Amino acid sequence: MIAEKMTQAFQWTYNENDQEFSLHGSLRPQRADELSNCISALEQSVSNVSGMFYVNVRRLVRMNNVAFHALGCKILDLVRTRTDLKVHVTTSSVVGWATRKFAVLETMSDKITVSEYDNEFYPGQSFVEDSAFIHVLRTQTKLTWRHEKDLLAKHGLKPGMQVADICCGIGDFAVLLQKEFAPDRLVALDHSRASLDYARRVASDFGVRGIDYVFGDAADMLLEDNQFDFVTCRHSLQVFDRPERILKELFRICKPGGRVYVTNEKNSHCLGEPRGESIQWTYTEVAKLWHHFDMDIEIGPKSRRLLIEGGFEDVSIGSFMVTNTDGNPQDFADVIESWKKLFADTMATQRGDDEAFKEKFAKGFDDHIFAALHPKGYAGWPIWVASGRKPL
Amino acid sequence: MQAASEGMSPNSDLPQMIHLDLDIKEFCSDWTHCDLMSGYLARMVCHNRLDSLLFSNLYSSALNELLEAVYRTHGVSGKLECVVQRRGNLDRIILTFPADDETYRVYEEAIGKVNADNAEALYLEALFADQEPGASLGLLELGVDYDAKLAIGRCEDGRMRLTADLALEDETE
Ligand SMILES: C[S@@+](CC[C@H](N)C(=O)[O-])C[C@H]1O[C@@H](n2cnc3c(N)ncnc32)[C@H](O)[C@@H]1O
Repeated sequence: MIAEKMTQAFQWTYNENDQEFSLHGSLRPQRADELSNCISALEQSVSNVSGMFYVNVRRLVRMNNVAFHALGCKILDLVRTRTDLKVHVTTSSVVGWATRKFAVLETMSDKITVSEYDNEFYPGQSFVEDSAFIHVLRTQTKLTWRHEKDLLAKHGLKPGMQVADICCGIGDFAVLLQKEFAPDRLVALDHSRASLDYARRVASDFGVRGIDYVFGDAADMLLEDNQFDFVTCRHSLQVFDRPERILKELFRICKPGGRVYVTNEKNSHCLGEPRGESIQWTYTEVAKLWHHFDMDIEIGPKSRRLLIEGGFEDVSIGSFMVTNTDGNPQDFADVIESWKKLFADTMATQRGDDEAFKEKFAKGFDDHIFAALHPKGYAGWPIWVASGRKPL
Repeated sequence: MQAASEGMSPNSDLPQMIHLDLDIKEFCSDWTHCDLMSGYLARMVCHNRLDSLLFSNLYSSALNELLEAVYRTHGVSGKLECVVQRRGNLDRIILTFPADDETYRVYEEAIGKVNADNAEALYLEALFADQEPGASLGLLELGVDYDAKLAIGRCEDGRMRLTADLALEDETE
């Protein structure tokens, strides 16, 4: 029964540019000498370094005391024998034991520092965590769900599957999934503790059981390989500077034969009439604004290429348009109002835009709202849906 | 090895979740059994926790240290039993294994350190000692870092029992 292969490989790498020695995987040796190759690699790396030497244990998932003893003593020995050297250890907030374990090194020498790494959030993060906006986020999901409910089935989601929603945000999509598709297992992961707290509260208030909300970093998940039949990641590849890295993680946790499903936007294609020109100008500016922060809000149609290049087969892509005619036009208008605040105020201010620009920028959102609420108007927000199968 | 589920353990008043039972010689035939068993059990018991991944990772680390201690220090022959129980946020792990007097003394000494007032200093001392760590390092870490309550006792059949009470989620909040 325990013959299942669960031990993950252990590796190390050295990045000379960053003077950083990284340990990855699972490290539970029986004897310290099993680590001798790693320790000599570390010695070798540090021999050409002066100043700060970085030891990165963010991706070290398991470590026993044999290993910690060997590594800890080595690090201490280094700072004691080399006057020109300091060591900084970076741990992960996701690996529960790591920070406490390594923190003792700090108490042994003031030349050792330890800090916990938290993946840096994108400039819009405050928005997704702000409780004042939560109803808008929920409205957004309500609007997309009308379309996605049917699309998910077309992309292969069936009841009884093992499903993961990565970058789940406030977890409302997971709740809808749970109700509509009754997965056998549903893991919903995000790196925002505030959003997860909210998600857990909602699930418990609504009596929705069985969703496993977990804290994690989508770029380095603790989830094991080949576990899920269906992995979703919605509106999120666009908040990372290297979406292919996230896709690689989605691929890894997906079972061979399972599918990864992503939705993404191309904001410059948002549209509306009347006042089409002003709307178009503003959304083209939105794309530039995201680009300034190294994010790509135009990924939508690029999803196909990303999936194919990520090693997926049977890639399928399509799009739908959320519009003011879908239901209550005020819902659509509320969403745009919140975008105006996030883009034309928070993010534009962060970029250093002047007032005149911000005013013009905001105008296009107002015009989009005008179109949405106009009795003969039409306003749209296009979304691309793509999925691919992990080869068997 | 057999796995029996549910029911009450005779030794404790907490509801039982899993009971594993194997020959100590079989267990000690391969070091990776510690890692595999702790990973396996952690996955089995993490499902309805607040954060299953965080919990499973911590649980596996703690259980692994206990199993490694037993792997290194145990009596010659007999059965190793591993019972895991839970009530609310309290997780109890009970390992029962063969132990002669010498074995028992090793654990007695280790638990003495864990329960000492200067446990933290003793932990650092063990951690940065020159020689390879003994049975007590892992147990000390559990006491100091995980705030585990550790206890030992003798069984009638000549084996000993090592009990660890853990409140992993409180710690991570
Ligand atoms: C634009 S929101 C999309 C949320 C949700 N999927 C939806 O459609 O409403 C992006 C989400 O990614 C999360 N996120 C950002 N960086 C992350 C990381 N490194 N790992 C996991 N989640 C992350 C944010 O907390 C946020 O919830």
